[in-house]
Amino acid sequence: MANGIIEISFAGRGGQTAVSASELLAKFAFENGFIDVFAIPIIGAERRGAPISAFTKISKEKPIKTYDSVLHPDYQFIFDTSLLEIPRIRESIKEGTILIINSKKPIDTTGLPENLKIYIVDATGICIEHRFMISSGGILNIPMLAAFAKITGYYDLKVMDEVLKREFGEKRAALNMKVAQDAYNSVKEVS
Amino acid sequence: MTESKQKDFIQPRQTKVVKGNVATAYAAKSARVQVISAYPITPQTTVVEKLSEFADSGMMPGTQYIKVESEHSVMASIVGASIAGTRTFTATAGQGLFYMYEMIHWASSSRLPIVTAIVSRGVAPPWNIWADFTDVIACRDTGWLSSFVATHQEIYDEILMSYKVCEDFDVLLPKFVAYGGFILSHTSKPVIIEDQDLVDEYLPPLPDEKGWPHIFIDPERPMMHGNLIMPSGFYSEFRLKIHDAMMRAAEKIKEAAKEFEKMFGRSYGNGLVQKYHLDDADVGIMIYGDLALQMEQAVDELRDEGYKVGMVKLRHFRPFPIEDVQEIAKSVRVLGVVDRATAFGSPTGGPVSSEVKAALYNTDIKTPILPIISGLGGREVSLEEQKDQLKALVKMYETGELPEDLIHGTLWHGKLEVK
Repeated sequence: MANGIIEISFAGRGGQTAVSASELLAKFAFENGFIDVFAIPIIGAERRGAPISAFTKISKEKPIKTYDSVLHPDYQFIFDTSLLEIPRIRESIKEGTILIINSKKPIDTTGLPENLKIYIVDATGICIEHRFMISSGGILNIPMLAAFAKITGYYDLKVMDEVLKREFGEKRAALNMKVAQDAYNSVKEVS
Repeated sequence: MTESKQKDFIQPRQTKVVKGNVATAYAAKSARVQVISAYPITPQTTVVEKLSEFADSGMMPGTQYIKVESEHSVMASIVGASIAGTRTFTATAGQGLFYMYEMIHWASSSRLPIVTAIVSRGVAPPWNIWADFTDVIACRDTGWLSSFVATHQEIYDEILMSYKVCEDFDVLLPKFVAYGGFILSHTSKPVIIEDQDLVDEYLPPLPDEKGWPHIFIDPERPMMHGNLIMPSGFYSEFRLKIHDAMMRAAEKIKEAAKEFEKMFGRSYGNGLVQKYHLDDADVGIMIYGDLALQMEQAVDELRDEGYKVGMVKLRHFRPFPIEDVQEIAKSVRVLGVVDRATAFGSPTGGPVSSEVKAALYNTDIKTPILPIISGLGGREVSLEEQKDQLKALVKMYETGELPEDLIHGTLWHGKLEVK
């Protein structure tokens, strides 16, 4: 945590909705009283399946003035476990980083720093169960961000509901919230 | 177009977490622009998307959205719409701006108050779509006012202030409002969208049926536009008038910023420049665009370490704030000037640092200037790197010597090692 600013990193693959996750997290945190939020997608030649990075910085007290990317996040989202094989992502994980991973089962932590807190949530499974899909697969951002709500308490499901209603309307928000509720209930610590 | 009804679409003050490009679209909406013409180009595309969404969903009543096939036609149609007496808006970037270049002169030489957002990107080749202000600076001598923006909120605010300045009958010139591609355009931050009534009160009224005082399309008052003028005609005098209007725009920019602060509570220095911890600083750094916000933090952190450093954000490039630059250079012992742009073959290689040096010629100011070039083509400039730039200036102040690794007198910071 640099200067009281909470730094969150997203690792996903193109189509897994990680970039919109970074933006939604900023909106949820701002709605819940954080005074400044900043969502930073890293944009280049995006395509389905390619590794995607995005960052969110959220602050309760001070305005956020830094635009640079997050090298060692406080929270690291992993939307796809295969991304943990990428050296850049492995190296960004520091001691104390909290990992939120889309996975059914615990991951192999060989070679990662010790004292990690690792949470898993079967976001893909939940999306499939609720048919909460787009052409590239499950809309993973909603279950992942609901898991984050449970882990951190930086916002809650009610806040998510408010923002989603405003952004997407009542009907779509309702389906989103079913998915969110499942993820909220099922996320678990595995470290 | 003048017949289209400007129905009231009242939007109360609200804070939204939005991308920089969305803040741009909201500014155009709040300014009640009457004609938009735009052609999508990365990283400006989401401005166009949002504006067409607003126009299509009825959120911008009274706005005509013209679809065209190229940037050249964008500016051609905007020039026509503006001559007809409407408030106009468009946005572009990089190569799109260059494709527009011929028509840009038609706008300024017709003295049309067109506001255009430039989502600055590196100039191709090689293709580059990330922050670099060389695109807008390449239009330096077109007779357009130009400003650089450092934050999401400032995008919204600066576009509103721009209409106030450009539509002033003493100015009547077009303006570029430039911000860094992706760094501001695609990142999201909280932005206050102001109450429509207040914005209406701040801005001049929309032009009436008579249009602008100097140029119009009206069968009752026939006039010729853009005809041939012989060398013995008023060509030279028209040029002088543009320069004169540009120089006088400086005062109007100051007034617009002052009034904006009074009405909306957000300050942008004197409008031309915005100082940060500069009053008691030995070492100053001038910087513009998106790099300026993070530099504030670098200044804060060096201040915590006991260094008397300060910065000035250059807000306007045209008109160039000559007096402010002189006063600032005089007040510090060493001044760095950071360019996220290139001016090949100029005295420093950086466009703004060259101008700063020129502004000090024939004065008694002997403050050493360190030109710095940083972050070209969107290369990330970290907080640590910005602190290093300040430290290089501190060292220069302490030792009285220039840094060793200058290239043609300029510090090219953060470059890769090329073998």
